[in-house]
Amino acid sequence: MTYSLIPERREGPTDPMPKSPSPLDEGGGPRRPETGSPDKDSLLKRMRRVDPKQAERYRQRTGE
Amino acid sequence: MRLFGIETEYGITRDDVPDMDPVVESMELVRAHLAASFERRWDYAGEDPHEDARGFRVSGLQQDREEDEFAQRDAHRPFSFHEMKSDLVLPNGARFYNDHTHPEYSTPECRTLRDLVAHDRAGERIMHRAAQRRNKALGGTPVRLYKNNTDFHGHSYGCHDNYLVARAVPFSALVAGLVPFLVSRQVVAGAGKVGTEAQESRYVPGPYQISQRADFMETELGVDTMHNRPILNTRDEPHADRQRYRRLHLIIGDANMCEYATALKVGTTQLVLDLIARGSVPDLELEHPVAAVKQISRDSDLQTVVRRHNGRTIAAVDIQIQYYEAATRMFSGSDGESDWVLKEWGETLQLLTHNRQQLVGKLDWVTKQWLLETFLREERLEWDDPWLASLDLEYHNIDPEMGLYMGLEAERKAWRLTSAEMIEEAIRNGPADTRGGLRGLCVQRFPEEIQSIQWEQVRFNGGLRSRTLDMCDLFDPQEVMRCAGLFKEAQSPVDALTAWTSRKDKEI
Repeated sequence: MTYSLIPERREGPTDPMPKSPSPLDEGGGPRRPETGSPDKDSLLKRMRRVDPKQAERYRQRTGE
Repeated sequence: MRLFGIETEYGITRDDVPDMDPVVESMELVRAHLAASFERRWDYAGEDPHEDARGFRVSGLQQDREEDEFAQRDAHRPFSFHEMKSDLVLPNGARFYNDHTHPEYSTPECRTLRDLVAHDRAGERIMHRAAQRRNKALGGTPVRLYKNNTDFHGHSYGCHDNYLVARAVPFSALVAGLVPFLVSRQVVAGAGKVGTEAQESRYVPGPYQISQRADFMETELGVDTMHNRPILNTRDEPHADRQRYRRLHLIIGDANMCEYATALKVGTTQLVLDLIARGSVPDLELEHPVAAVKQISRDSDLQTVVRRHNGRTIAAVDIQIQYYEAATRMFSGSDGESDWVLKEWGETLQLLTHNRQQLVGKLDWVTKQWLLETFLREERLEWDDPWLASLDLEYHNIDPEMGLYMGLEAERKAWRLTSAEMIEEAIRNGPADTRGGLRGLCVQRFPEEIQSIQWEQVRFNGGLRSRTLDMCDLFDPQEVMRCAGLFKEAQSPVDALTAWTSRKDKEI
């Protein structure tokens, strides 16, 4: 069964999503990440700076 | 016609005030944005969360009592209701306000995934800039904002994805077609969480799970959003012509940091809605959907199977594959965006079971797990170490100098759909082809003449009587752009409305 639909858009999409990720793509295009391991000199350092008690102190009211 | 948007409640805290008042902090954060923007009172007349899509109206929500208690407490504060809400409509058509003590950013309505992701990221930047202004006033950097869904103490807050749906599609068809999809969508769109909890229950540190929200799903269908949360929310608040449209309001989703996950979450859901509209959705009814959400979330190895209504069992990835295959049969080659979603959806489902490392930087739960496992090895920790929950939280910190995802992005390990320029443009302007962009244009051009504003209309001062731009059925992109053209050129909103009405009268 096909339900009566909202009318389809009239024009075709003029700006489709990128087709193939390329590591060389800069700016608006997608970039495939390097997935070896986190950079030990920066990201792990950032992780070590996190206070182990941060989540214990973190309290919020229930939202939606 | 495709139209979607995302509303995100952020977590907020202050390092220097252990017992901070979330009402005041959320309000002050939003108001910190006012230096460069426009304030106008939101018109709440169009909001009624008691209408149920199943065809009735509930007399009360479970949260009403709690809300009343908060209202009584809040009544003693030296602020009016409007001051506490601090409802802003931004020049890009987005809404930025204090919702239930969480600063919330609702994107303008978008027609393309690329626009949606750019506006979701614009929301992060706007939040962060407001925090910077607030911190400047406070001194230091005590305010932190988190784009996540839990406080690790049994309190959850939402990231809701919304879709325009034809009213002609029966709600029962949406339920049958969507529930198995939503139960399993977390394998693509989950944000990952260390430990388990439940609504207002004790947090139990421990194993990693796929979804932040799964622990808080308590029923299959329901109109509530703050308690007894449903897999499929039945709130019937269309913000459009009620005779023709629904707004599907999904509250099960996690807040995503990865752009790719945001695009796939919304893109695949839109394709499933298109399948339902054509009556081509696979029949995968589950026996216990609520239990299935939690079972799937708590097995990051993706081996768990859940029971179907027909007695057979199925794994979450296989549910997704069935939807993917149905969508491919129906929509392959139909347009560029659908093809992109189909290609990436198919590849992602393959990689989940065969080479998950390739999804680092694309899917949040995979990315966070990879970061935490690396840290566990380096520091020789166990999963129940409290440090892990703190690292989980900091993954979602939107401060580029502090957040773990932000650090990953700075190292170019995150997959991007947007650029800095696209995000800045989304901060300035809404999509040109939706009423969201038109709303933003009204704010840009005629801020002083706006009397009140909401999703479906803008009311202008007009001498003795007000004049209204009705957008209840303004979804055709060409029509939106025609209307916007008039508002761009007119000397006053009354001139624009007169020209718009005259044009529509001629068409009739």
